[in-house]
Amino acid sequence: MNALELSDVRKIYTMGDGSDVVALDHATLTVADDEIVALVGPSGSGKTTLCSIAGGILSATEGRIVVGGEDISDYGDKQLTKFRQEAVGFVFQSVNLVPFLNAKENLTVVDELGKRTGKAAQQRADQLLEELGLADRKKNLPGQLSGGQRQRVAIGRALMNDPKLVLFDEPTSALDTELGEQVMELIRTEMKQRGISAIVVTHDERITQFCDRSVNIIDGHLAA
Amino acid sequence: MFLALKEMSRAKTRFGLLVAAIALLVFLILFQQSLQNGLITGFVGAIRNQNAPVLVYSVDGQRVVQGSIITPDLEAELRGVDEIGEVGRLGQGTFTGLPTRAEITFDTTIIGYELGADGEGLGAPRELVDGRYPTAELEAVASTGGDFEFAVGDTVVLQPGGFTVEVVGLADDIQLNVAPTLFTSYDTWSSAVQSVNPDAGPPLPNVMVVAPADGVTDGQLVDAINARSLEFDALTRADAAAETPGVSQVQQSFRLIFLLYGLVVPCVTGLFFLIVTFQKANSLTLLRAIGAPASRLVASLLIQVVLIIGAGLFVGTALYYPVSQLRLGGLSLRYESGAVVFWTVLLLVLGIASALVAARRVLRIDPIEATTGAGVGI
Amino acid sequence: MNLALKELRRRPGRFATATLIITLIAILLMFLGSLLDGLIRSSTGAIRAQDVDAIVYSSTAQASFPRSRLDVDVRMQVESLDGVTEVGGIGLVQLGARVPGNGPRDLANVALFGYEIAPKGVPEPPADGQAYADEVLEVDGVEEGMTILLGPARTPVEVIGFVSDTSFNGQGGLWTSEATWRSTLSENRPDAQLADGVWQALVVRGDAELAERIDAATDGATDSYTVADAVNAIPGVEEQQGTFNQIIGVTIAVALVVIGLFFALLTVERLSLYGVLKALGAKSLTIFGGLLVQAVVVTLIASTVAGILVILLDVVIPPGSIPIYVSAGSILSSAALLLLAAAVGCSFSLRRVLSVDPASAIGTTS
Repeated sequence: MNALELSDVRKIYTMGDGSDVVALDHATLTVADDEIVALVGPSGSGKTTLCSIAGGILSATEGRIVVGGEDISDYGDKQLTKFRQEAVGFVFQSVNLVPFLNAKENLTVVDELGKRTGKAAQQRADQLLEELGLADRKKNLPGQLSGGQRQRVAIGRALMNDPKLVLFDEPTSALDTELGEQVMELIRTEMKQRGISAIVVTHDERITQFCDRSVNIIDGHLAA
Repeated sequence: MFLALKEMSRAKTRFGLLVAAIALLVFLILFQQSLQNGLITGFVGAIRNQNAPVLVYSVDGQRVVQGSIITPDLEAELRGVDEIGEVGRLGQGTFTGLPTRAEITFDTTIIGYELGADGEGLGAPRELVDGRYPTAELEAVASTGGDFEFAVGDTVVLQPGGFTVEVVGLADDIQLNVAPTLFTSYDTWSSAVQSVNPDAGPPLPNVMVVAPADGVTDGQLVDAINARSLEFDALTRADAAAETPGVSQVQQSFRLIFLLYGLVVPCVTGLFFLIVTFQKANSLTLLRAIGAPASRLVASLLIQVVLIIGAGLFVGTALYYPVSQLRLGGLSLRYESGAVVFWTVLLLVLGIASALVAARRVLRIDPIEATTGAGVGI
Repeated sequence: MNLALKELRRRPGRFATATLIITLIAILLMFLGSLLDGLIRSSTGAIRAQDVDAIVYSSTAQASFPRSRLDVDVRMQVESLDGVTEVGGIGLVQLGARVPGNGPRDLANVALFGYEIAPKGVPEPPADGQAYADEVLEVDGVEEGMTILLGPARTPVEVIGFVSDTSFNGQGGLWTSEATWRSTLSENRPDAQLADGVWQALVVRGDAELAERIDAATDGATDSYTVADAVNAIPGVEEQQGTFNQIIGVTIAVALVVIGLFFALLTVERLSLYGVLKALGAKSLTIFGGLLVQAVVVTLIASTVAGILVILLDVVIPPGSIPIYVSAGSILSSAALLLLAAAVGCSFSLRRVLSVDPASAIGTTS
């Protein structure tokens, strides 16, 4: 089963003056199981839009979206919310950890918003933090962690609900080259170890070496 | 000014809510100011605005006119005090009165005083707004405002008994116990009391009204009278009004209320502007980085404070004005322009002071933070 | 909810000022409520205590004791009315009392009642020359067994016990026999004395709808009230209640707006956080629920602090200077109103929370 199948997906925005902007135009993309794909393009190319649609954050105007075998093309808001809780993981550009929760709580918050498995979530959070090398930072607030450590917490959060697909939005843009490479190494290791597929959105060509393949996107069109 | 106004126009809900909160608070403060003054005037206006500088109660009266009784012995004792220049009797009674123009009866207070040659004897209202003083029996000066608006020429029939009094003059703020009040001759009052209670004999005066002899101050007269006998409770006119039971309670209660309301306004303003300053930290840092002087940013903040509090004061006062013209169960409220001015100045000063906390944060912004992204920080 | 509570615990400073403001408003509300309760209580105790179905004044009295007189004929008419089981007289005289040990100008204000039917909490009329005193008079130094002297005539009355909540017109009640009341009245208020058999008012026990039937039977010579109506007829009571309730109402509105404002500001500040939470799968209502929880907790803390301070205020204020009556009921009802205001004020932010787009968490939307 493929992790992601986008078929002829379009996203059109209507601007304030009535004109239409096509952010994504007839995008077709397949991400295989256990594959890491880099989505590369300049600012405004539509890569974030594609990522948002794949992650169930945005609805497409047209087209078919199947994530891990689940067809979310016609999902309403409520269904998309549930889908995001259970099936997808996100690591955002500006990290976006909850500033008043410590590292472990930033992981368990996912469980609290969704299924509420209680103890199981606590154990999973401990395990993930251990694997990410943050066992001794469990009780630190984001303000007490380095940039790289915060990034790792965000990755842990993305993995909490055992997702079918993880979406990374510019994961290294706030980091220097060395740290950026370390984080990409970590991403690759963690995804491969667990057999989870990922899309890494980036404008940085240097990152692509850590991914299985690259797909370019310009002005809403995916390159063949 | 430009920055200040632009920001407010882009966040109308927030600033609007703040103006609403301040307006409501201002309205409450001013309304209660009117209420307090109306209560006190309604209770003891008659005492404050009659012409005798000193009033002498019997100690048993506990400074309540209707509770005080001056026996003939006491009266004789009082007349023997050297410092007295002029002395007169005052009688008070509360009746059920039916003004002929009205359809229902009202509580009516009658205060009888010794008329003197021209009706302006000791104990008469200090100033009239219409008509003349009573010069004969069965004539009265009536209070304005209150449950029933008297007019010159009205007659009031007391119940039971049908005793009738004619209104020949009007005066402001001469009520006692928040009831329509009539100032009549002493004999008229005495006859009125007997008309409603045939079992009683001629009533005794409640209070003696006194003026000092030449060269004697009001204070000296009070001391001399009180020293004369422990049965006397002499007070200057102002003290008599202030120390009527209930008046000081009203004033103390309201004092506490005003203090609390007065504190809430600067707290709300200060909190609002502090939070808003944090929220626009990045924009402020950016402005500083591109060359805006710190003083300009602070001035912009203070302009907003003045505009907001000003708007709140304006709306609050606008809400207050119609309410201040109302009659509340016998109490006539009044638009207290002095209170409006006082609270306007006080709240503006307090509001600006409260915003200084936010201003301090603005002054501490380092423009270099624009490049590192730290901003004002939390 | 957990998230909301954690934020309160971890970042109390952010909520501290708002809590302070709401505490001030809560103190105001509780103080106003206690003031109203105190004023009403001390004005109306003697009437509320009447354990009867109707109180009867003369028709021209405007429900005022000193202006009312009902003679023997009227009483007989009332007694002979169908459904009337018991009729008693009641009379009042308000005087200053000299209490042993107090200064010569330091009199206690008393409302002396002569009665036949005992009010709630008051025993049957005592022997002549004796009285039950309301406990508020203890503040003036009155003690059991003490003889106090009433009025300018210094009528002696021995206090043989205490009762509670029987004040009238702000003065402590003193409950005596008919004879004691009549003699005190004629000695101290000769212009108001009444002949034997004449009372100022009657209290009547019987079946329902008594008040109207009595007035009909006496052909309009009387003005009868139920106890509740008689309380409201006491001059000033209705106006006080009306005015205070309006002031309290507007103050609640202020609380609502202030709380709404504070949480609206907080919401604006956390829009990006809400975007992230929604992207992670949080429902809008969960987020709003968290906001509501914070508003409720902040208000509860403010109400608790205010309640404690108002109780302290009651202890610290010298008795008689400000007439407040602090009760658990009035504090709790003020807190409840404030909680309601908090919930409603919070809802100003609901639309904002609902409209947060989870896509805002991911860079830009293009």
